[in-house]
Amino acid sequence: MTIAAAFARYVRSAVADTGLPECDLMVAPQTIDELEHILDLASEHQLKAVIWGGGSHQGFGGRIDPDLVVATSQLNRLVDWQPEDFTVTVEAGMRVSDLEDMLADRGQMAVLPELPGAATIGGVMAAGVSGWRRARYGPTRDRVLEVDLVTGDGRRVRAGGRVVKNVTGFDLPRLAVGSFGSLGVIAQACLKLWPEPSTKVTVSVADGDRALATAYRPTAVVEADGVAKVYLGGTEAEVDGQVESLDGTVVSGWSWEPEPTGVVGWSLRVPPASTRSAIERLPSGWRYQAGLGVGEIKAASVDAEGAAGLRAWAESQGGALVIVSGPAALYSDMDPWGTPPPGLKVQRELIRRFDPCRVVNPGRLPGGL
Amino acid sequence: MGWVTDHAPTGAELNACVRCGLCLPECPTFRLTGKESFSPRGRLMAMSAVADGVVEVDESFAGIMDSCLQCRACEVVCPSLVPFGRAMEGARAELAAQMPSRTRAARHLLVGRVLGSPGLLRMATLAVKVGQKVGVGRVLPSLLRRGFAGIRPITPVAVEPGSTYRAVGERIGRAGFLTGCVMDVWFSDVHAASIAMLQRAGYDVVVPATQTCCGALAAHDGDVKDTQRLAERNVVAFANVDVVAVDSAGCGAHLKDYEHWAGQAGELFSKRVFDITELIDQAIASGRIPKSSVDRGPVAVQDPCHLRHVQRIVDAPRNIVRAAGYSPVEIDPDGRCCGAAGMYSLLQPELSRQLGAAKADQVRQSHANVVASANPGCEMQLRSHLGKGYEIVHPVELLWRAVQEDDR
Amino acid sequence: MTLIGDLVEILGPDRVLSEPLERYLYGTDGGVARGEVIVVVLPETAGEVSDVVKAAKRHGSPIVPRGAGTGLAGGAAPAVPSVVVSLTNMKDIEIDLGNRTAWVGPGVINLDLSKLTRSSGFHFAPDPSSQSACTIGGNVANNSGGPHCLAEGTTTSHVLAVEIVTADGEIVLLGGPAPDPIGLDLRSVVVGSEGLLGIITRALVKLTPNPLAVRTILAGFATMEDAVATSSGIVARGVVPAALEIMDQKMTRAVENFVGAGFPIDAGAILLAEVAGHPAAVEAEARLVEQVANENHVTSLRVAADEVERAKLWLGRKSAFGAVAQLAPDYYLHDTVVPRTQLVATMQKIYEIAERHGVLMLNVFHAGDGNLHPLVAFDASVEGQLDIVHAAMEEVAKVCIEAGGALSGEHGIGLEKRDLMPLLYNEADLDAQARLREAFDPDGLFNPQKVLPAGSRCADLGRPIPTGAWL
Repeated sequence: MTIAAAFARYVRSAVADTGLPECDLMVAPQTIDELEHILDLASEHQLKAVIWGGGSHQGFGGRIDPDLVVATSQLNRLVDWQPEDFTVTVEAGMRVSDLEDMLADRGQMAVLPELPGAATIGGVMAAGVSGWRRARYGPTRDRVLEVDLVTGDGRRVRAGGRVVKNVTGFDLPRLAVGSFGSLGVIAQACLKLWPEPSTKVTVSVADGDRALATAYRPTAVVEADGVAKVYLGGTEAEVDGQVESLDGTVVSGWSWEPEPTGVVGWSLRVPPASTRSAIERLPSGWRYQAGLGVGEIKAASVDAEGAAGLRAWAESQGGALVIVSGPAALYSDMDPWGTPPPGLKVQRELIRRFDPCRVVNPGRLPGGL
Repeated sequence: MGWVTDHAPTGAELNACVRCGLCLPECPTFRLTGKESFSPRGRLMAMSAVADGVVEVDESFAGIMDSCLQCRACEVVCPSLVPFGRAMEGARAELAAQMPSRTRAARHLLVGRVLGSPGLLRMATLAVKVGQKVGVGRVLPSLLRRGFAGIRPITPVAVEPGSTYRAVGERIGRAGFLTGCVMDVWFSDVHAASIAMLQRAGYDVVVPATQTCCGALAAHDGDVKDTQRLAERNVVAFANVDVVAVDSAGCGAHLKDYEHWAGQAGELFSKRVFDITELIDQAIASGRIPKSSVDRGPVAVQDPCHLRHVQRIVDAPRNIVRAAGYSPVEIDPDGRCCGAAGMYSLLQPELSRQLGAAKADQVRQSHANVVASANPGCEMQLRSHLGKGYEIVHPVELLWRAVQEDDR
Repeated sequence: MTLIGDLVEILGPDRVLSEPLERYLYGTDGGVARGEVIVVVLPETAGEVSDVVKAAKRHGSPIVPRGAGTGLAGGAAPAVPSVVVSLTNMKDIEIDLGNRTAWVGPGVINLDLSKLTRSSGFHFAPDPSSQSACTIGGNVANNSGGPHCLAEGTTTSHVLAVEIVTADGEIVLLGGPAPDPIGLDLRSVVVGSEGLLGIITRALVKLTPNPLAVRTILAGFATMEDAVATSSGIVARGVVPAALEIMDQKMTRAVENFVGAGFPIDAGAILLAEVAGHPAAVEAEARLVEQVANENHVTSLRVAADEVERAKLWLGRKSAFGAVAQLAPDYYLHDTVVPRTQLVATMQKIYEIAERHGVLMLNVFHAGDGNLHPLVAFDASVEGQLDIVHAAMEEVAKVCIEAGGALSGEHGIGLEKRDLMPLLYNEADLDAQARLREAFDPDGLFNPQKVLPAGSRCADLGRPIPTGAWL
């Protein structure tokens, strides 16, 4: 049987999404069983597969010329929502915005990236990206309670559990976050939810650093191109009290700014106390959003001029400068991740055991893994 | 062979430990070494190992028991209420019975006989006194020199056995005063102050002539017979008083534990035993002793283990220091042992030195140069580790001085 | 050269304990399991740990890392004769207030770090009940929880980096001070790995700002159902208190006997609730707690008047396990988690199981996150008792898992819960766990026979793993 014939039953029109890479073979499993079979076939035929959620984070990591694109768009069901337990279990292809909209009806939130666009739960998890509210609620990784992975050779593996606290076995769910599918495609996940604060405001302030020092555990403090906003949430009395201590203009609700866009997108990560210094070191013309107190800076530029120096400095601080989007040529000029982290040997050994034929996103991770 | 004496740790005492480990950080020797064998849990497990026939009472077991300060800080935090001090005394009794080696015999002679006999102790004291005069401290081996450095200049003994001192003002009761062994001859100033303050507190103070050493050191060393003998003598000696007043925390702690050594009579006796700080604190609270209005500056308060952990007295010495016009300064929120611990400083010099040095550092950081300590062992340890420039006194001495000054 | 000879060469004689009695003392931890110790070593640097690992590996000796030995699942009790690496003397602390972090040695005692940073306005948030004694290395290895993890998350949310010595004896730093370290997040899986993946020689932990205000509320109820309904009711209304703890009557009495904090010993169950944070929020949340308690027939309600009273209440709660010894010399406990909504039904089933087996059951638990600690007090020296206890407790575990729960919320699997793992995970799940372990430690040198039941690694599953050069 030809490869195309083997996959024929999974080729579905729903795959027609904008921004998809050039690839002859595009499939969209409707169930996790189908995903298992697809990856088993891919292993059998030694195919290189790219997993496609909303396409939001495909610019991360090493470039791949895929033999197969697996879209998760049809794995988008709600599996289990227990509002009183503050947990929700969904398939990975569900869009973050759909999930948050649904949760908001019951005053709950998953605290994932604030303006997710088409991003899916699986994509956000696989790329390990977080929203600005991580300052108060912790990163996306803190949200994941249980995960169902389909390994590169097509085995469904579950780890964690649908309870808010769990140390039963190794913490594969957290490891899956930021793994880019290298241990398996995230098929389903249970997330811990938070109650939405009854009062939410956004305060524009002149000095973000001062606001950060003044406010008591704010939801987020984000500075975009020199303009800082403090996001607060809580009871009305608490928020009022906090607002009073900040000198700024208040609007009700959380009003998030779109991320800066440009030819090249960057994620600069430094220790929190180095954030200001990092902002000052951005090459001229770079636009940015910085999470004060967090150390994550999202930036955009027209080219990579000055990036090497910035990366060297960030790495010297224990951080990184990562390419998140850009023209293909850039990726051959500049490693998208920078200096690979220690422990590559264990990472390689891990991936070898979960994806022995190296099917899912090969070469996407630092060190060419 | 297991245990051989009636005093051995009992099954109930050992079973009370569930090995939760909450005692570990409170144990000064565990803090220093990080070793299970230097922890209360480890020591209890070692005792259980003997009880269960896993090991014999041998050198290795003895080493584990010997490293214990018997400060009993572990008892305070033990939610299982393990009577650790009792179990340790039981283990020491077993060691004394099963390993009567030469060093143990020498120690037995010292703690059982010399300290129990005023005559013998006075002879030793005379030697110290002569030594102090001729400056012999400088030529002693370093180990002994440190102990020597902690001794107060010897003054004439102020308290005669058989004396009675009348209450000043309204009389509220009759207090029997324990002169003790080391206290009597080496710390007679403390006695003088204690008796004077007891009088002001409204007590007739008697000093029974037939009293003897409390027996604490003998008990810590596992000397059951001597401990019982001394306890029984004191029960009789103090039969006719309302309260037994003690100005050494170590002695008081042991007197409060006589039920283990003198049966029911001991238990009744123990109920009447009070540390001097308790009695004086009560008198301050009831207004019989006035609070000084003079500001005399800071005093670092050191908590003797046998006051804080065993007798659970924390506030009284601070109240006394305050009543004397001083402001008490805390040096150690955890109340860790200073390493004196009776004979410990002689038997485990290195651990004792480390603990003493740490305690001295805490005092130095407090910027107070007067330290109040309600136990002679601690006082000597502090003095030897702090050196010149610091005065170490009993809190009641501070109060007595203040009262005298304020009277003038 | 013998193993002990090699170790003495590395550490000197004083830090290598080989006397039989000393080894015996390291054969167990806070749990009921006991194992055999070949020798105990007390290294003080990562370099020494590395040398010890290499020496043990040369001699083919397994290694069990150990902190304060307060664990309750037998994690530090060797399952096979092992070298015990005691990390109690690696106690360096380096505080970075600017980044709100601290580098700590694995032997640093949890509470010592919070004491040290208190005056600067920070604390280390994970607060297991043993926090006055347990080490941060142990917390990291077990992903420890504690009452205040309800709002702040367990240890894993507070660890930014770990330095480990691998099974090869290599010293590797995983994670770092910046967010989202690149590559697979091995740090996250070393946290909670119970000593199977590497020996933690240093950790970079987060410091959390102290709350501006705290209120601790002690509520008594006639029944366990009322207490649980109150706890769940508070959370269901969108409030995440700092802590929500419940104790049943037997436990309350044992605790009160030790601490004398004024716990209502006539109540069927007590709820210890704490709200913390901004003063205005604390005010509102405390009112809500009282309101929900009233709706659920609260019989007594007390707010801690000051820090001393508050500390005493918490001391009582955190001494619960130890206090059990007042009732019986041994105890065996579970650490299961159930969805909050299943708490009442599960508790009922647990008491039924205890009654059926005739065992003395006590309960103290983190009600806010559904983390149960059903505990049986017994006397192991009575013939057959341990078997009865094990049988009863296996049923308890089953009931919790059937309710949609998990085997362990914070104590770990260790030795004692290992064979219950198949209740929760199927063959492929366990195989994945075993593969993960194999990637770190192919020879199974570290803490062998823990966490994963025998036969977890299934060679028949999946495709063959390529050998040699790969990628």
